[in-house]
Amino acid sequence: MKKKNVKKYITTLTPLFGLLVLFAAFLILGKMRDINISYGLKSIFNQSVVVAVVATGAIFIYTLGSFDISLGASVAVSALIGGMVYNKTGSLAAMLFVCVGVAVLVGLFNSVLASVFNLPVFVTTIAMLSVLNALVLVLIKINGTGSEIAVPAAAVKALNTTTFKIIVLVIYLLLCIFIFSFTKIGRMQKFQCCNPICAKLSGISEKKMAVIAFAMSGIGVGLGAFLSIVYAPTLTRNTASSVGMNVIIAIVFGGMPVSGGARSKIYAAVIGAFSMTLLSQIMVMFNLNSGIGQMVKAAIFILVVFLATSDQRGKMLPR
Amino acid sequence: MKTKGMEIFKRIVKIAVIPAGTLLLVFLLCSANGVKLFETEGNWILFFRATASVMLTTFALSLNLNSGRFDFSIGSIALLSSVISASICTSKGLPSAAMLVISIVAGAVLGLLSGGIYVIVKLPPIIVSLGVALFYEGLAFAVTNGYGVSFVANKELTSFPSVLHYALVILGGLFFFIFVFDYTQFGYDYKALLSGQKVSVNMGIKEIPNAVGCYVIAGALMGVVGFISATNTGTIQMALNFGSIGVMFTAFLPMFIGGFIGRFCNEKIGYLLGAVTTAFISLMYARLNVDSSIQQIVTALILVVFLIYLNNENKVIELVMLKKHLKKKTK
Repeated sequence: MKKKNVKKYITTLTPLFGLLVLFAAFLILGKMRDINISYGLKSIFNQSVVVAVVATGAIFIYTLGSFDISLGASVAVSALIGGMVYNKTGSLAAMLFVCVGVAVLVGLFNSVLASVFNLPVFVTTIAMLSVLNALVLVLIKINGTGSEIAVPAAAVKALNTTTFKIIVLVIYLLLCIFIFSFTKIGRMQKFQCCNPICAKLSGISEKKMAVIAFAMSGIGVGLGAFLSIVYAPTLTRNTASSVGMNVIIAIVFGGMPVSGGARSKIYAAVIGAFSMTLLSQIMVMFNLNSGIGQMVKAAIFILVVFLATSDQRGKMLPR
Repeated sequence: MKTKGMEIFKRIVKIAVIPAGTLLLVFLLCSANGVKLFETEGNWILFFRATASVMLTTFALSLNLNSGRFDFSIGSIALLSSVISASICTSKGLPSAAMLVISIVAGAVLGLLSGGIYVIVKLPPIIVSLGVALFYEGLAFAVTNGYGVSFVANKELTSFPSVLHYALVILGGLFFFIFVFDYTQFGYDYKALLSGQKVSVNMGIKEIPNAVGCYVIAGALMGVVGFISATNTGTIQMALNFGSIGVMFTAFLPMFIGGFIGRFCNEKIGYLLGAVTTAFISLMYARLNVDSSIQQIVTALILVVFLIYLNNENKVIELVMLKKHLKKKTK
């Protein structure tokens, strides 16, 4: 029994060990290659923070056993509309409000489509991905110089600091931890995924859970959009283009089960986001060809998830 | 006898209503803009190419998706298999037929690796396919040093696009798919596993070889898709960070249309007709020079509206019946 518990703890903590090992590897390699470690860490943080914030909110959707592939495109659209609003009003508060508002609206639209019309969430988000990607092109065409929408760099310079980004990440993370772990919502969401029939008979509304999950995720997407503008105020069609898939990778890498349910962990997103960026940075330090770097990253991704889920394998193939 | 004939007629109408309705609609839209839908040979080639490519992608996607295995890696298999075949054929001076065969073999081997990893690590297929997609994209990039492959000047390899060739690919793909899944033990096992995994495994059906077989077939089909795409332009461009998964999204609309048509005939014929429907739409976009962003929005809206109908079909029918009933009452 004790041995089983130890094994369980080890597998649960594997993603965290992975992060620590990667961090140690980065420090050792950095020292060996004589790179500016503090600059490197700052760069890693800047690259990870958007994915970490968006992925933390997305945990609510994953906990329900659902899946949203349109998050990256939603970040891009929210950032573009936020940028347009800043250029019209000159107000950073208005920009933040619009970024979050647009992202929450997109999330709510997804959840309403899925719950009111009984559509599979994943398919809804695929359609939304196409619409949002097209919207990015339309917005840039009609509101920018034809290839970009630029917020003056001076306007966001004061916010482009590690401290500000840490504050945003920590506040949002604490909010999510509170809702997920210390209110009924988190428990109801896990229950909803584990046993939808029992959840329904217990009075839990599936639609309400979906709306809450997408709204929480929308807040993360909006904050991610705001941080994207702060970091790179010139917005193009490539803004946040890799965020969507990186969010999925980060969540899984951090030890979150794709099937959601009782094993869901809110902190998985942050661990995963930083692990992935550290891994990419280590590949860069080895001066590897981008393709080979991606191959190594893929192999490590599968290995870590394999180790982290070693106690969850059954007789049949998982689906 | 008369009722049987009527039933067959009704069934044919239900099978043809979506592709025929779409053809009529795109024909009217083109006519309203003073454009002929099929004016040149190039238009026919585009139509047949789109049908072939989308049909095979739909087969490859649905093959695993219907069994609950979501596969993000099919686009990367198309990319890498075409890189392998094009590299070999350009260096050895081989013809397009050889490139097609090498693409199929390379796709099948890549599918075998993907399926092999899935059954060995026993992780959810969505996770494995993410890792595999990253790996294959990286490999294609590394093999070509990021430059991709270009054989625009190779007239032998770029001579493949023609109506006849694409028609042969469509027929070959369709017959192969129907034969394997409707007339072999592998296909019967596949269907049994699809409808009840636990019962089938307990009955002695070997799930692992069947799953790996599905990945191999999906890989081979995507090899053909990669070949079609490469020989059309004479270039293969690289994609990193999941740039290859876009191919997969082209198959969702025809897959759902095919699923609907499949209620009245063989599901594979349904997928073909779904691909034909989307090919009509693609041709219309090309003939009317529709902006790519508008294309994306329209296609997504069609997908959503169609899914809303499919998932609420009973409610829609009830509503229509209720309206009819109320009309009768008021009369």
